[in-house]
Amino acid sequence: MPTYAYILVSLALFFIGTSGVLLRRNVLIVLMSVELQLAAGTLALLAFSRALGDQKGHVFAVFVIALAAAEAAVGLAIVVSVFRTRRTANLDEVNVLKG
Amino acid sequence: MNLAAHTTTLAETIAFAILSAGVLAGGLMTITRRNPVSAVMSLVLTFAALAGLFATLSAHFLAVLQILVYAGAIMVLFVFVVMMVNREETTPIARLGLVVRAAGVLAAGTVFYRVAWLVARERAMPLLAATAPPPVVGFGTVSSVGALLFSDFLFPFEAISLLLLVAVVGGVMLTRHLRENRSSRIP
Repeated sequence: MPTYAYILVSLALFFIGTSGVLLRRNVLIVLMSVELQLAAGTLALLAFSRALGDQKGHVFAVFVIALAAAEAAVGLAIVVSVFRTRRTANLDEVNVLKG
Repeated sequence: MNLAAHTTTLAETIAFAILSAGVLAGGLMTITRRNPVSAVMSLVLTFAALAGLFATLSAHFLAVLQILVYAGAIMVLFVFVVMMVNREETTPIARLGLVVRAAGVLAAGTVFYRVAWLVARERAMPLLAATAPPPVVGFGTVSSVGALLFSDFLFPFEAISLLLLVAVVGGVMLTRHLRENRSSRIP
């Protein structure tokens, strides 16, 4: 398939992720939407990597995936510790930094 | 793995259509499901289809990695946390501040529409139009990406492993610290 088809899919996925971050109030689903955004970025990296015949894009995609794993780990740890003190997973109700 | 085909074959088009439909449907389901468990399962569908798309781009190593890390590790993390924080949303899209959020989505949508329009308009340019020529043999395999990772990108690779270590330690600290405080406060 031509590269632009992949780029359009990547754009659409990134837009879905952005909408999720903006619209949803459940922390978990917001985190999943961030994962969607990162995955859309990976897809664009790989599409251009294939178009240019250069494998450096693959290396950066590996880094993006590692980054997504780290982000999920820390993000979910924060969700758990916030839930312990506040008993909520709603972003609108978590509005102070104090524990 | 069509290392020889220059033009897009029908089979490739069909595979691309099915996989990208899976990606987009999974993504939409992820952000619309009310129950977080169904959202996680939709996320897994999205990432599985995305791994298929990676495979059509001759990125075999990344396709495998995507399944291992996302459908394996991250999905398990999410499911565990959903089990701990199991509250179904009563209002999936809160009324509070809905106007502002809708404006945000509208603005984001405009930006993405413009970019997509630009990509569609410029699709004749060589970089975007080309169904890429068959890559060199071994493109995107574990050995060739790994060789690059351990030669030109050795320092970033070590840095990313440090990042993962920090994330693991940070995750443990974040969840453990509060529990100790809590248990000491109870008596």
